[in-house]
Amino acid sequence: MANISGGHLVAKYIKEVEKINTVFALSGGHIKSITDGLVKYGVRAIDVRHEQAGAMMATAWSIYTGQPGVCIVTAGPGFTNALTGVVNARFDNIPLVLIAGRHMVKDDLKGALQEMYQVEMIRPVVKWAATCYETKRIPEFLATAFAQAIEGRPGPVFLELPLDIVGVSVPEEAAPMPTRATPKFTTHPDDVDLKRAAEIINAAQKPLFLGGSGVTFSDCEVALKAFLEKTGIPFQLHNYGRGVVPDTHPLSLMDAGFTGLMLALSQADVIIAAGIRFNWIFQSGQAISPQAKIVRIDIEPTEINRNRVAAAGLVGDVGSVLNQLSPFVQKRDHSAWITTLRRAYLAFIDTELKLREKPSDPIHPIRLVEQIQKAMGDNTLFVTDGGDTCYWAFAGFRATEKAGMVVGTGGLFGCLGTGIPFAIAAKLARPDKKVLLLNGDGSFGLNAMEFDTAVRHNIPFVCVVNNDCSWGMVKHDQELSIGKECLSCVSLPLIHYEKMVEGLGGHGEFVTKDEEIIPAIQRALKSGKPACVNVITDPTAVSPASLAFYVSLKVD
Amino acid sequence: MKFSLLLFILFQKIKRAARTNKAFQSYIKTMEAKILIKTADGKRGRMFIFDRGKVSSLRGDQPGFSAALIWSDAAIAFKVMASGSDEASFHAAAQGKLKVEGQPFFIQWFTDGVKLIM
Repeated sequence: MANISGGHLVAKYIKEVEKINTVFALSGGHIKSITDGLVKYGVRAIDVRHEQAGAMMATAWSIYTGQPGVCIVTAGPGFTNALTGVVNARFDNIPLVLIAGRHMVKDDLKGALQEMYQVEMIRPVVKWAATCYETKRIPEFLATAFAQAIEGRPGPVFLELPLDIVGVSVPEEAAPMPTRATPKFTTHPDDVDLKRAAEIINAAQKPLFLGGSGVTFSDCEVALKAFLEKTGIPFQLHNYGRGVVPDTHPLSLMDAGFTGLMLALSQADVIIAAGIRFNWIFQSGQAISPQAKIVRIDIEPTEINRNRVAAAGLVGDVGSVLNQLSPFVQKRDHSAWITTLRRAYLAFIDTELKLREKPSDPIHPIRLVEQIQKAMGDNTLFVTDGGDTCYWAFAGFRATEKAGMVVGTGGLFGCLGTGIPFAIAAKLARPDKKVLLLNGDGSFGLNAMEFDTAVRHNIPFVCVVNNDCSWGMVKHDQELSIGKECLSCVSLPLIHYEKMVEGLGGHGEFVTKDEEIIPAIQRALKSGKPACVNVITDPTAVSPASLAFYVSLKVD
Repeated sequence: MKFSLLLFILFQKIKRAARTNKAFQSYIKTMEAKILIKTADGKRGRMFIFDRGKVSSLRGDQPGFSAALIWSDAAIAFKVMASGSDEASFHAAAQGKLKVEGQPFFIQWFTDGVKLIM
């Protein structure tokens, strides 16, 4: 049998064992054997302009496909550039596999080019990190890396491959490809815990279901929909769980937005929280009525009582737990509670609803969102990135399928710059869908060169820039906490981002008036190119999220 | 009449707390907000003005609010506000007797602040 290089072993494993056909990479001297292998084994490499974007695209690939996302970077700065994307994946519990080059083992301590000890640096922010020191063991190390990424609570992992390991060849029979008996193992709660949870749910008068990213990674559309429809419980799905049951479902409260969520949390007597953390968005549990009973479903046992002691805790994969729980819960009709709740939150968001309906000059961001939704329709994957921008998108766009409305910045890491990488990965993962990104102007700048990646790889999507010429959320926080006369480092000039995209080979539109929004988006879609629609919006518009941001950072 | 008196007493409590209650002083020290509480017909109401630690108020319906609590009538407004119950406010909103205009955040901020001094 012929010899095979370490780099080719990497590509062969990705293609033949994991069945992954797309990875995200940026070339470098330490990983040339791997990128060469990707070509040989037919793995599509989306070569990016910055490793941070590569890690973010791999993260989004995981969200949209359910497969672990793979990012391949070179040693040293390639590795450090990827770190922000890796930490973002860690905070969001996304199965991301980062593979990096490394200086040669024989050059340790010699001052080799890009000599650094990457495992030590990355270990605190990944589930698992290792260096492979033997070429024939590369498939074994990769199998461990992928298993670590997906088993239990998912998360990013790191494998480092020194140049004198990945660049040398071994007989192919010495490095056999492992077979995976099962892709994922699950744990299940005891019947006594299921019955306890069911008793609480069956006795509820004003229940609320909250789902998070754990819902998406559980792949539980059928189980969740059946559970909700049997119990009649209204729901909101957050983070990457949005759309698993569509926003248009009669039990959905997604039209309530953040304001309605806070109102519902304060009034519900039972909250079923599945695959979602009670983090700062929920004021670490303080936003929930003290009298409410909590039923917590999570794959991670330490989340069950985190920030709020649960009346019942069910540890396991969300879909699996719901399937087990369903026989114990009664068929209920909570329509009176839902009607009351809807009427109440509509009274609280009356101003926002009116802003959506009428043209404004300057354009209000929530009006912009309304017009975008009209132009795009429901067969669209929406992505958003920014501060205030994320709130307007969260409140105004409709998700009609899994991950149909993704707020990349909305995770615990609050990582600006995720928008363009996520939009690119969304289109790659689901090429039959239209992809619309609503980006703040500040965050647009962080990974804007990835429009070049989209152009080179012919990945069409529409990016609408909500351009208020500022880092808006931070500006509003400064206005509230320091004073309008003392703003610092928050202003941006009026930049023609659409011209920049045109310069990279994409399509550009510039919009200042309400009636121009829909035609500009339609032209952008028709162009078939990566497109930027730069819309000048009202800089004085402050979202409820901006105000929550201010409260969360307030020093007593 | 009882509603107007309630709003007046509420302002007196806020004014006093702004002078003497350290937790409340800290709570309001950076906020600039104008909270209007009024009846839908505009005949009764009061604007509570917070200006970076200073408080003042204006009687009656006023323009330029950050957020407004608008009650269908003075009797229900008195009943719900005097009860101090979030649940009563929730049901009033659900029954069309209470509406928020402007930024709901400011109403939440104001309500939480009032709880500090009650």
